[in-house]
Amino acid sequence: MATTGSVSKTFAHAEEAPVSERDLDWSVVQRVQAGNVGAFDQLVQKYREHIFSVIYNMTSNREDASDLTQETFIKAFQAIARFKGKSSFFTWIYRIAINSTMTFLKKRSRRRYISYENINEEVSSSDIVESLTAKNRSEKGALVQELQEKLNDSLQKLSPKHRTVVVLHEIEGLSHAEIAEITKTSVGTVRSRLHYAKQQLQSYLKDYIG
Amino acid sequence: MAKLPKERQTEISVEDLLRLKRSERPSDQFWNEFDRELHQRMLQTLVKKDPWYLQVVRGFSGRILQSTAIAAAAAVVAMVVVRPAFQPTRAVHVAQASVPETVGAPVEVAVTELSLAEATSLPDYQTDVISAEETSSDVNFVRDFGMDSMQVASYDASAYSTDSPQARVSFASAGVASLVY
Repeated sequence: MATTGSVSKTFAHAEEAPVSERDLDWSVVQRVQAGNVGAFDQLVQKYREHIFSVIYNMTSNREDASDLTQETFIKAFQAIARFKGKSSFFTWIYRIAINSTMTFLKKRSRRRYISYENINEEVSSSDIVESLTAKNRSEKGALVQELQEKLNDSLQKLSPKHRTVVVLHEIEGLSHAEIAEITKTSVGTVRSRLHYAKQQLQSYLKDYIG
Repeated sequence: MAKLPKERQTEISVEDLLRLKRSERPSDQFWNEFDRELHQRMLQTLVKKDPWYLQVVRGFSGRILQSTAIAAAAAVVAMVVVRPAFQPTRAVHVAQASVPETVGAPVEVAVTELSLAEATSLPDYQTDVISAEETSSDVNFVRDFGMDSMQVASYDASAYSTDSPQARVSFASAGVASLVY
């Protein structure tokens, strides 16, 4: 995945000039629809890290996330001829990813495998980890690993619908309106789910908060 | 990466913790493998045959649809032509005997419910009136009961050649075939 800064930058840019970003994607989509299959790779390169991040944080399994991300792009590739550009490609591909993940989670409901992604080394020097290390007087590496497990475990305790909203808003940085469009719900529903999910997470992560 | 404002450096929120999740990122090697696998799978989708159910659906839009339509039309015609053969025989005969042209759906009717006029318009017998009062020749005979006359059917014995000789003799003299009430 791209750096956190680039994720925010991409969507911050999309918020500032959504039309141009949308048009850029639409022009690539039209090239693919015209038969330039290679142009699809531009869309893959642009969105693969975001899609992977969403799915990984929904499943807490890097292998499943990899498979589902590939599946998302294959579904998009197969259906791109029917994409009319009524919504942005970004919304459309996120919706495919969320729907694929939801279907997967329903099938996987009885068995759950955890397979964590590597944590970037930058996190060790973050203010949050520094603060937690000082507060808990624990070793930094062990704390980071413990925190990763606890965060993933807490997310998995949420229902898929609440988890989706938390992941898209708090981790991916999408706005309420964008999430509402992707999940085909109202902004009010998104806010309500987000509020409830955060309350749940606060109780699960109370040892680290405050 | 997950920098806290100075005034909040001692306070950690759920949002701050969740932001740490952004640092769980695959390596470049992962993305190289990912791209290779994705291209392979996309090529497979380009050359892969559609599943059988999609082929069936597509087939229906072509020749299968035409042949199915023809078969369905033939079945409808066959049903229209053959259907009368499946009607109850007795009901059809009764209906045809009474109003063959106008009756749409045959109705089961018991034979005893039919009047003579409906059953046939040309009887092959004649009726005579017999009465005990008229035929009595004994002047001393006194009736202690009332008696009405009744109609009986008389017939021409020669028209019933299959009757036994005894029966013909015994009934021919009386000229009575059967009682009709």
